[in-house]
Amino acid sequence: MTPAPILHADGLGKGVDSGERHLTILSDLALEVFPGESLAILGQSGAGKSTLLGLLAGLDTPSAGRLELFGQSLAALDEDGRAALRAGRVGFVFQNFQLLPTLTALENVLLPLELSPQPDGEARAREWLERVGLGERLDHLPKQLSGGEQQRVAIARAFVTGAELVFADEPTGNLDPTTGARIIELLFRLNREAGTTLVLVTHDHALARRCQRALRLADGRLETLALDEVEA
Amino acid sequence: MSRAATLSRRGAAQALRFSARGLWRDLRAADVRALFLALMLAVAASTMIGFFLDRLDRGLTRQAGQLLGGDLVLEQGQPFAPELRRTLAQAGLTLSDQVDLVSMVSLGDAFQVASLKVVDGVYPHYGSVLVERGEGREALARGPAPGEAWLAPRLALLLDAELGDRVRVGETELRVTGLVEREPDQSAGFGNFNPRLMMHLDDLEATQLVQPGSRVEYELLAAGPSEALGTLEPLLARLRRDGVEVRDVRRDRPGLGNALERAERYLSLAGLAAVLLAGVAVAMATRRYVDRHLDTAALLRCFGATQRQLTRLFALQLLWLALVAAALGALLGLAGQALLLGLLATFLPLTLPAPGPLPLLLGVLTAVAVLVGFAGPTLLRLKRVSALKVLRRELDPLPPAAWLVVVVASLVFGALLWLYSGDIGLAIGLLLGGWVMLTLLWGLGRALLGLVLRLVTRLPAGQGGWGQALRLGGRQLARRRDASLGQMLAFAVTFFAMAMIALVRGDLLTTWQAQLPEAMPNYFAINIQPAERDPFIEVLDARADERTALYPMVRGRLTAINGTPAREAVPAEARGDNSLRRELNLTWQGELPEGNRLVAGQWFSAAPGPAEPVPISLEDGFAERLGLGLGDTLTFTIGGREIGGRVASLRDLDWDSFRPNFFVIFPPGILDRFGHSYITAFHLDSDEGETLRSLVRDFPGVSLLNIDAILAQVRELVTQVTRAVELVLALVLLAGVSVLYAALTASRPVRAHEGGLLRVFGAGTRTLSRVQGAEFAILGLASGLMGALLAELATAGLYALWFDLPPRPHPLVWLLLPAGGALLIGAIGHLLSRGLRREAPMASLGLLGET
Repeated sequence: MTPAPILHADGLGKGVDSGERHLTILSDLALEVFPGESLAILGQSGAGKSTLLGLLAGLDTPSAGRLELFGQSLAALDEDGRAALRAGRVGFVFQNFQLLPTLTALENVLLPLELSPQPDGEARAREWLERVGLGERLDHLPKQLSGGEQQRVAIARAFVTGAELVFADEPTGNLDPTTGARIIELLFRLNREAGTTLVLVTHDHALARRCQRALRLADGRLETLALDEVEA
Repeated sequence: MSRAATLSRRGAAQALRFSARGLWRDLRAADVRALFLALMLAVAASTMIGFFLDRLDRGLTRQAGQLLGGDLVLEQGQPFAPELRRTLAQAGLTLSDQVDLVSMVSLGDAFQVASLKVVDGVYPHYGSVLVERGEGREALARGPAPGEAWLAPRLALLLDAELGDRVRVGETELRVTGLVEREPDQSAGFGNFNPRLMMHLDDLEATQLVQPGSRVEYELLAAGPSEALGTLEPLLARLRRDGVEVRDVRRDRPGLGNALERAERYLSLAGLAAVLLAGVAVAMATRRYVDRHLDTAALLRCFGATQRQLTRLFALQLLWLALVAAALGALLGLAGQALLLGLLATFLPLTLPAPGPLPLLLGVLTAVAVLVGFAGPTLLRLKRVSALKVLRRELDPLPPAAWLVVVVASLVFGALLWLYSGDIGLAIGLLLGGWVMLTLLWGLGRALLGLVLRLVTRLPAGQGGWGQALRLGGRQLARRRDASLGQMLAFAVTFFAMAMIALVRGDLLTTWQAQLPEAMPNYFAINIQPAERDPFIEVLDARADERTALYPMVRGRLTAINGTPAREAVPAEARGDNSLRRELNLTWQGELPEGNRLVAGQWFSAAPGPAEPVPISLEDGFAERLGLGLGDTLTFTIGGREIGGRVASLRDLDWDSFRPNFFVIFPPGILDRFGHSYITAFHLDSDEGETLRSLVRDFPGVSLLNIDAILAQVRELVTQVTRAVELVLALVLLAGVSVLYAALTASRPVRAHEGGLLRVFGAGTRTLSRVQGAEFAILGLASGLMGALLAELATAGLYALWFDLPPRPHPLVWLLLPAGGALLIGAIGHLLSRGLRREAPMASLGLLGET
């Protein structure tokens, strides 16, 4: 039996009004993501990848179509309802890391746990920082860490709540190739170990090929790519 | 307990913990520290002034009580009933009895009319009697013992009495054991023209002076906490209606009224200025705080935080901040007021009561109010942040409209104004005035900024030098037009608050000093007979430094108003008024006397014809108390004959002036047929003792009343209060400087970024320093100009509405504020950017990424 999809989109569209013109960014997208799966969404700069990610994570509302996250229709939920649905179940990794500058590495990782607290929160945060290789840098502020180290903190933060679904937006976009490669290695290893579902948005084909499945976003539409179609 | 309740309780505890932890981490950020400091400062200033004023007020009330003889003084023509004594004692008041009467006192063949002050063992409630008992002056906290009499030196002189002599008072004899130099409660005014003899109550019966029909005043002097007086209000109102004269320390502070009231107003105003300054700092720091936390809010949204959770989180964080700042501020305020009192110790002869809890509560309330008012609307922005901002940085929620921030902040400030001043009219007036001014300033600021931009572009485009620095600095200001405008307004308000406190202080002190010149009259000469008039004046003109005009005086009782007996015609609460129970001093004058100001009606131009009603002029306070107005007809009984007059004018006069003042003035040619004497006031140096003795000997009928003691007390008070005012001024100035510092710190990242860019483009440290210096100096200059305008208008309004001083222009402010502003902001800015100039461009450019 096929398990129920963790993320299900149908006829999804997003447009914006810019002055008198209506601009369609995404139209009639259909997508199913199953638990434990890793999926890459490829696209050029400006193709609407981040817009799609925002919609899928419930950070934004679509102009058309249906979207279900964890089997729950997002249309029925208001902003707060969508936030509550994400709490503790969805993790994020961003291109610009999004660490808070006044918080130490440990405190940054603890941040999502403050919203859905768990009894051994701090121990878990330390453990995750050790797993990303920053066990010795717990008390360092972001500005005392390199880009790669900052992204590792962000990855620990994405997994610390035991999230079922992790969204990653160009996770290597701000890193040099060598560091980027190490980060990808880490991300996929942790994803595998935790059995998390990973939705990754990137323009990096090498990164996309590490996923089980890849989709290309072009002209506002999604097309499925066979992995061997993803150019090296 | 239900699961839902458990969960919500756990949620609340968690929110408290989370917010406290968040705040602790946040203390690393400059804006949170600035916010904290500003709030602490607001609380420190308001509690310091609050504690100080509260204690000083209670202390000065005590001193005023000393002049009055007690906190509450009741007076009537018959002994007081035991029930009334019981009621007063039960309310927590200590009672003392005193009887005043006038009698002949003799020693051998010398006779003299004296005013007897008969006191009991409790006398005096406050202070001490300065008495000479043969071993130099002593300050005794009691009156004479039974069998003893203490004489005023003048009485001793007139009777030729010495210590140990036995003077005859009525049917008994008392031994003279002291010469009274000063009584603590020497505020008696002109009721006691005769020299004083002080004796014990136990001896009164033996004198047999109290007979049916004899004129005796019984006084019941009560001392106790003002709360006790508060509970007696209904009783006091009833006593007034029954014709008892009630003097209450809270209403009748003799002689000290105006100066003290203005000083208190000044101190509260200074406290408010400090609060306003702190508010400005809070508003500026909050902008930066919110900018910095937009990312936190967006991230938390991503991680699943609801709007409610976000609101609760930030509200709690700031509440912690306010509470800790309030607690520390209150401690500082407590220490500050102790320091203030310590510095004033030599000027404060009074023991002040311990600090009360009220200022502390007000302090905490102030912190929370300032936070809600000055930070509230800006903080709401955090709640509205979209989670999508983590993906698209440009999605910042719009800052609240400037007008909303100003309206909310000023409403809260207005409420604080009301709370502190207790004057809603003033609060609303200042609020509306403030809005109008801010609108004007906004427009003016825009125009100024535009002008600056146009001016700097015209500067010669040479390399290096101040021209280039001014051009670049001016451009930077103009580029961030809205931010610059906001800063300019904030600085202008800061300068305004500082300037106003300084201006009002100067004008207050000048007014006080003008009121109490060194050579002001210290003696009143009363009962000068028409035949003695010219020789007396001759002596005075030869010896005294200063003399007021000579006023004729006729004693008459107000018996009817518009044909109705006076007591029935006046409002109920005025039935016990002194002016109905005693003879009034009536005078006649052709000209409006010095220090009097006509407030209604017309001054009489010529003597009235025989058929016309006699026009008279009343003091407006007297008229108000008795419910009299223009056109009312008053009937006076003078020596058994009646004379009527119609109120033709009302006068305002300065009771603090220590000049002879009159409730009722007739035109010349009406009263001179009645028996009259003259009164004048003059100044005699203390080393002119011989002149005084010869005056007493040559004019034995003339009563000389020395008011040096009262003057000394008033001067002492003014000195004390002046010190306090100056210290508080220093505090406000300090608060102003720290606000400027906080505000400039908050704008550091943007400036760092600009500086970094200039560096990248090749600007050297020197150029950078000049550009930043120029930018700050232009900002300071413009803010100073606007501050001067605000200060000038606000002081004019305040003087008219609150301080009862005539408005006057302050040209120096227009010079000092812009120049001082440019220097001060330039200096602080220069200091603050020193670190930035040393930083590598990479670091300063990176700083902006933190926002």
